[in-house]
Amino acid sequence: MEEVGYKRFRIEPKPAPHVYQIPNKFDVSARKLRLAAMLVHEAFEYRLNKEVVLSRPCIYGVFGGHFGGFKPLKHKCVGCMRCVQEYPHIMTVKQSDSYKRLGDSFWTPENVYTVWNEASTGKIPVKGMGYKGAFAGEGFDGMWTDMSEIVRPTRDGVYGREYISTSVDIGRKPTSIDFAKIDYQPKSLEIPVPIIFDELPTGTDTADIRASVGLASEKIGTLNISRDIRHRETGVNNVLPIIDEKVIADNEERDQPEIAEFDAETPGLLDRLLARFDRSILIARLPLREDSGSAASRLVRQGVHGLHLYADYHGQDYSKDTHHISTALKDVHQQLVREGLRDKVTIIASGGITLAEHVPKAIICGADLVAIDTTVLVALQAEFKGETRDRANHHLRPRRINPEWGAQRLVNLIGVWHDQLIEILSAMGMRDVRRLRGDIGRSMMDLELREQSFKGIAWAT
Amino acid sequence: MGNLELILEKHTERIHHGLEVLPTLRHGVPEGLGNQRWTGELILATYEQALTGEIPENGLEYKTGNSGGGFDVLGWRSHEGVAKVDEDSVDLSVSLNKRHEGRKIEIPLPIYGGGMSFGSISLNFMIARARAARKLKTYTSTGEGGYPDQIVPYRDHVITQVATGMFGVREETIQYAPIVEFKYAQGAKPGLGGHLLADKVTSEVAKMRESSMFTSLYSPFPFHSVYSVEDHKKHVDWIKTVNPRALVSVKVSTPTDVDMVAIGSYYAGANIIHIDGGYGGTGAAPEIAKKNIAMPIEYAIPKVHEYLSSEGVRDQITLMASGGIRTADDIAKAIALGADGCVIGTAEAVAVGCTHCGNCERGRGCQVGITTTDPELSQLIDPEWGEKRIVNLFNAWSKRLRMILASFGLESVKDLRGRKDLLVRYK
Repeated sequence: MEEVGYKRFRIEPKPAPHVYQIPNKFDVSARKLRLAAMLVHEAFEYRLNKEVVLSRPCIYGVFGGHFGGFKPLKHKCVGCMRCVQEYPHIMTVKQSDSYKRLGDSFWTPENVYTVWNEASTGKIPVKGMGYKGAFAGEGFDGMWTDMSEIVRPTRDGVYGREYISTSVDIGRKPTSIDFAKIDYQPKSLEIPVPIIFDELPTGTDTADIRASVGLASEKIGTLNISRDIRHRETGVNNVLPIIDEKVIADNEERDQPEIAEFDAETPGLLDRLLARFDRSILIARLPLREDSGSAASRLVRQGVHGLHLYADYHGQDYSKDTHHISTALKDVHQQLVREGLRDKVTIIASGGITLAEHVPKAIICGADLVAIDTTVLVALQAEFKGETRDRANHHLRPRRINPEWGAQRLVNLIGVWHDQLIEILSAMGMRDVRRLRGDIGRSMMDLELREQSFKGIAWAT
Repeated sequence: MGNLELILEKHTERIHHGLEVLPTLRHGVPEGLGNQRWTGELILATYEQALTGEIPENGLEYKTGNSGGGFDVLGWRSHEGVAKVDEDSVDLSVSLNKRHEGRKIEIPLPIYGGGMSFGSISLNFMIARARAARKLKTYTSTGEGGYPDQIVPYRDHVITQVATGMFGVREETIQYAPIVEFKYAQGAKPGLGGHLLADKVTSEVAKMRESSMFTSLYSPFPFHSVYSVEDHKKHVDWIKTVNPRALVSVKVSTPTDVDMVAIGSYYAGANIIHIDGGYGGTGAAPEIAKKNIAMPIEYAIPKVHEYLSSEGVRDQITLMASGGIRTADDIAKAIALGADGCVIGTAEAVAVGCTHCGNCERGRGCQVGITTTDPELSQLIDPEWGEKRIVNLFNAWSKRLRMILASFGLESVKDLRGRKDLLVRYK
């Protein structure tokens, strides 16, 4: 008998360890002659008491191999530096060269590591001793979310006593009740997390990766965007197809998809789609650039149900004078608000969404939900072989994977991003991610705060 | 002496020796040490100050980190032409009770220790901090993990923290306290409450917190008895009833409306408003919370200071700042931005060997015995040695603070408060 009634949304993580060896983060090494001399010295000092002489200065077992410090087990090093503190003349610990080579100019080694570990464990990254990075930076790095000292729900939402909804609707929403059309159901689709999978960089959409993404979409209940829908075996119900003229011509008899995307810059396509797929939720894919606000406004007036606004994989828009997606997104969102159109459409944002924190920040900047692209491949241990700027211009090499493993990695990734989204919402005292959309007032910008707080401080000459 | 004792002695000696040798730079700055906020040099400079009690003179950068913002892009205006005063005559004392009523408490330097709870740090480190506070005639805070018996001898210098989990909060621990601190939020995880990972909840910690062993402990957030300033006033009244002599500090994070929170705390009767920015913290915190929630302390201080001033109550409440204060220069800059003084946590840990590696929550905890409950690792910190290191660090900081104040002709640290005009910004 089918279970009915309330069921809380939760994504269950399961360990999905790396199948391809990852580089050691730290490179620990000993000056061997000095190490030998030190052992001789300690042998005399402790009168050949083997246990004392051979007791190691590492609590993580780096020197626990047969050859101790002569052949350290580098994969166990966490960079605590105790060996350097005890034996500064012998030991060296530094970030390994192979670690430093991870990613590209946008994907930092730390970010690649973070996504790997999230996909592997499904656990929120937790560390001690405060923040260790740059004060602020461009785009999302120059933005902080607000918090509330006394408003519920807060952490109770994370650990289950209260519920925080992360569901979002995709599609057109009614702006008022029309009693003449009381039975009219607006076209919209609800998904439980504000994260979907975008189409992948050209040539990386292998059968195994397609299957992983499809399975993960099914398990989570989210969508995956794909241009090629012919060979889908798994997750077919969760595909958000990109439809073009060819698809329309090839699928004359096909049922109307519940939801579809199309390239907004193809002349006349929207009119043909509106005529052909009058029951579908139609999302216009639109690159973010100088004129995106007016283009978005025109599309909404023409009748699209959603906009998929995309920047490149480094989170930069396609303007001549480039802007970060956070700025470009805000501009479009605010133009639609000014014109009274914002509540009629859903905005999906993509490009440069590579860390959990980017999801709430993109939503604050005006998106309803985000789509992730290169992050999917990083979670599946694809290799960076150079700059990966956009779909056609990338150097990400996918690897052969088991689709079940791949699906679990993606489930873990979305699960842990979902949990971190709840951390942010709970700190803000919000019960529903839909309330976060465009709520700039609950964010703080580095540039603005700096000018307010450092007002009156002269520039150094 | 058994082997275990010998091993402990060996490693303790080696660590102490390393902390002495590393700042001499005989082996250079270790490549893997530090990060943008706590650079390798800054860590070594802190070791040096903790060893000597003096400002480093070997060229180590001891004033700022390399984070590219906040304190790290603020410097001091030229003091050319300013009549200097004698450094020794500079007064660093600040009052922790500026109200007309209540007990008058003054600390001789604008610093006290922040809350680090039993369970998140070792008992030996906790004792070292309490001993240092006694020596310096300032305070340290219990954090939210309870009040171990071994801290009771130092009670005149220990702030009892009352946090949302109420761990170890009993009548006697409130009655001991010269200052009671309500922790509404903490900068490292604003809006999320405390979090002690299961591995650290040993039998002693579980007993102190009246919980189960090796079970993760989450403090609720917020106080479920406080949803308004009026509720907060009831909290303050509760403390003042149990211990009428205690001053009340209110520790909050730095949301957009931190200025409103501060004024609310003042009207509820607090003596100290303690704002804790997001970039500090010593306990376990989700990485997403550290970097992304609430504003850095550098931006919150002027906001609160100026608002309290505009409301005409600035001189009736003490404003303490924490969350990313690493050096004497950071303290002076915080005061110039509008704070009365600073609350320090991480720097005390660095003084006794912390490398800011962030592995506190992994496995057995801290490799040098600071943030651990592992009985063996905890022994690496000898309370007496730790006390000396912390006292030395703050003595060195006091010298640097006096140097800054004297160079601007200021006779008291109180005169530095809100003097943004003495700062300059670097791009």
